[in-house]
Amino acid sequence: MPSKLKKSLIYWAFLSPLVVVILFPFAVMLVTAVRPRDELFVYPPRWGFSEFRWDNFAEMWVKTNFGEALFNSLYVSVLSTVLALVLSIPAAYALSRYPFPGKGAYRTFLLMTQMMSPIVLVLGLFRLMVALGMVGNLNSLVLTYAAFNMAFTIWMLQSYFSTIPRDLEEAAWIDGASHLNSLIRIFLPLAVPAMAVTAIFSFINGWNEFVLALTMIRSSDDFTLPVQIYSQVAGRYQVEWHHVMAGTVLATVPVAIVFSWLQKYLIRGMALGAVK
Amino acid sequence: MYLRKFRKFACSALALGIMTGVANAQTTVDFTVAEYSSKTGPFFDEVAAAFEKENPDIDINIEVVPWDTLLQRLTTDIAGGVAPDISIIGTRWLLDFAQQGIAEPLDSYLTPEFKSTFIDTFMQPSVIDGQIMGLPVAASARAMLVNMDLFEKAGATPPTTWEELYEAAKKISALPEIYALGLQGKEIETDAYFYYALWTFGGNILNEDGTSGLDSPEAIEAARFYKKMLDEGLTQPSPTNYSRENVFNLFKQGRVGMIFTFPMLIPQIKAEAPDLDYKVMPFPEKVTKATYGVTDTLMMFADSDVKAEAWKFIEFAYKDEWRSKFDRGEGFLPVTKNVAAEDYYKTNEDIAGFAAGLPYAKFAPTIANWEEIADVTVRALQRIYLEQETPEAALTAAAAEINEIRGK
Amino acid sequence: MKSLNGFKPLAMILPGLLLAMFIIGYPVLDLANTSLQEVSRFGQLRGFTGFDNFAEVFSDPLFWGSLKRTAIWTVTVVLGTLVISLPIAIILNDDFYGRGVARVIIMLPWAISLTMTAVVWRWALNGRAGLLNATLMDMGIMTEPIEWLAEAQLAFTVEMMIGILVSIPFTTTIFLGGLSSLPQDSYEASMVDGATRWDQFRYITLPLMKPFINIAIVLNVIYVFNSLPIIWVMTEGGPANGTDILVTYLYKLAFRFGQLGKASAISLIMFGVLLLFTVIYVVLVMRDEKDTAAGEDE
Repeated sequence: MPSKLKKSLIYWAFLSPLVVVILFPFAVMLVTAVRPRDELFVYPPRWGFSEFRWDNFAEMWVKTNFGEALFNSLYVSVLSTVLALVLSIPAAYALSRYPFPGKGAYRTFLLMTQMMSPIVLVLGLFRLMVALGMVGNLNSLVLTYAAFNMAFTIWMLQSYFSTIPRDLEEAAWIDGASHLNSLIRIFLPLAVPAMAVTAIFSFINGWNEFVLALTMIRSSDDFTLPVQIYSQVAGRYQVEWHHVMAGTVLATVPVAIVFSWLQKYLIRGMALGAVK
Repeated sequence: MYLRKFRKFACSALALGIMTGVANAQTTVDFTVAEYSSKTGPFFDEVAAAFEKENPDIDINIEVVPWDTLLQRLTTDIAGGVAPDISIIGTRWLLDFAQQGIAEPLDSYLTPEFKSTFIDTFMQPSVIDGQIMGLPVAASARAMLVNMDLFEKAGATPPTTWEELYEAAKKISALPEIYALGLQGKEIETDAYFYYALWTFGGNILNEDGTSGLDSPEAIEAARFYKKMLDEGLTQPSPTNYSRENVFNLFKQGRVGMIFTFPMLIPQIKAEAPDLDYKVMPFPEKVTKATYGVTDTLMMFADSDVKAEAWKFIEFAYKDEWRSKFDRGEGFLPVTKNVAAEDYYKTNEDIAGFAAGLPYAKFAPTIANWEEIADVTVRALQRIYLEQETPEAALTAAAAEINEIRGK
Repeated sequence: MKSLNGFKPLAMILPGLLLAMFIIGYPVLDLANTSLQEVSRFGQLRGFTGFDNFAEVFSDPLFWGSLKRTAIWTVTVVLGTLVISLPIAIILNDDFYGRGVARVIIMLPWAISLTMTAVVWRWALNGRAGLLNATLMDMGIMTEPIEWLAEAQLAFTVEMMIGILVSIPFTTTIFLGGLSSLPQDSYEASMVDGATRWDQFRYITLPLMKPFINIAIVLNVIYVFNSLPIIWVMTEGGPANGTDILVTYLYKLAFRFGQLGKASAISLIMFGVLLLFTVIYVVLVMRDEKDTAAGEDE
């Protein structure tokens, strides 16, 4: 038997318990999402069902205003990611290239901002947004998510930047390129994998965040996906489980696709000196 | 849809200055609505649209909030100084709102005609120190639901007293894979599931002097009864893993003979278990008849700048046509006399079964820190069900803790 | 190093710093202020009371119980995650049939919000209506359904396992990054020396992976310590407070019982605990790493 095949079998055998545990909830979601409502509570519970009801998805889409929530989630996740990156790149560059007074303090500050969970700060954050007049505005989430993600993005980027040889930029200066110019033309293209990784981290955090979105957003037109789906469950007298699960499936699929598409980037980005 | 949204974002930044001028001409009333079902939001949107048509100068801003997070939302709103103008709240919180000066007394707004539209029983819980602090907006009374098929199969008759319930339970639980009584032991309203027995056994949540009634002989007897049912296998095992919804799901599965529930379960059963043959019955008796009446309250905020406009909307929303649509849509019992007089509530056997308990309904006492007191009660019950403590020890400890919270 | 005026780097970090100070700094000050005040049921400040809120927290047995469980929760989840993630990362770093699929599957729990993960598990774990018991019974693994969440101990164990499950993708990603940056030549050299695979792991992989493991520990401790949704959705800290950790207890105090002063005090204590942990960890463990990353502290 070829050794690669043997190795693959051993590896899959080792991974299989975990794979089962990971796929189990997804399977539950899927079979619940496509069954008719009167088969939600059969006894004994079973995986099978009488008819495959794609209609559940369509009904759910309309009933839970899914399209708008999807748009809101995209809006918040994308913009907060962009903002976090725009602010993090120069900061990370400074950290990796220049000495400056207070550098140690700045790093400590970054680590400390990681320690505060938004749940703990939710009241204060809310008071802040009231003062800014931004309550009920999706942009309040963009600002908060970006701020909370920045510690991680700066940190990741700076350790990556440190691995990019300085000579390249210096060579460009000698050629007469301005500092900014060399940064944009030479340095940034090299940093793309790291930026992709940090962008994914930031995007996922925004996509899945719940407590702040629940607190800041007023009108149900502005709900993000987690809030919209949770509101189908939380304290209702009638929970329409097939719709809840259909919503969850639809909210998960895009991220899963992005994952499988970007995973090479993801790992390469992590690899090239990500965290040191 | 998305285009509109983009435009909204673009505008909000650009036109902030111009907008303020426009905003002055229009008064906005913020209304926080608890989400009872997927029908709640659309219903209030419809009412608001109809109202705005008649009153073009008033804009009603509906904010739908999931029930489980409503209290958190209102707390942050009030702490942040941006409370809405009116909100639906659980009546059990009303005293906290009233004591902190957050609720606006409504006596001066209520005309005698408007006041007389309400059923007195439901108005009572909103009266604090002689002042009306809110209007009942949703009401339900609890009752027992029995699975007639199971009773027939077991050769038992639906009980009217706790002794009969115990006897019937023994017969039903003899059926394979069937439990006689669904017992809730987890999360919201676990305490209510116990009050049903507490009251009918002759006990009370609070004694006359305001101390906790959980350590009374009646309360201990009621808890012992539930525990005996559990020990003898007459309830489903491990109640501490069963929330309200889980217990009801057992009933929908046809696995349990009796549960205690609210009218809102009926439409769910019709949709999810259409073949189930059930019957609505009053709670079994021991010393007295009782049921749990639960209301939600529409409250106006004392800090609101637009009380007159808000009140105008309230009066509009309480018109019979709206109340009727709301109550039927959500499966509530009517809080106004005119709607209660509709044929639907007399001819519909299920609803009539729940409404029958109203004359002797008990309400949760309007006291401060109710959520915390309920939590103490739930934990005591869980310790009993888990056999960590005897009913006597757990309830005595809980009563002491509650008295301390109440400063008695 | 080129001589540059100190102003330039400061200007580069300033925008981000301002945002962080503004968005995170303000609420922290607000929190500190609140913790020293008497606070009304709905968060209105009613005057300073010194350290009364802290005294109340320290005299509360539920606080100490939650603190203990927080320690168990954090240590178990973080250790469990590391112990599982490292071999997985090593496997995924190797070349085998179906590696792409395996990588996507391992990352999947990340794609779904914690709240929804917890909701789905709660639904699947239900004793009589849940698919987990039904499946296990169909397979003949057990004869009686198990009530997974009925008793605190079992419920807490289940919650910790789910905690581990959802932490694996993040940790594995960090490890994968570390592994693929390891120099191949040291492995080849060791092959010549006749080292076994275990020797390789023990003497080459592990030491080289140390910085990545450290980072994974620090970040996971912070995330797990502060994680609310799993426990909150599945048991709300019950039954009888048996699964309450500090975050769930704090959430209950603040938003259910309206004791915002006490809740603020707990928040600050939690922050203090994390800070203490990180400082000790950084000093004890990461220092002797002889951190050579660019830009040492001044």
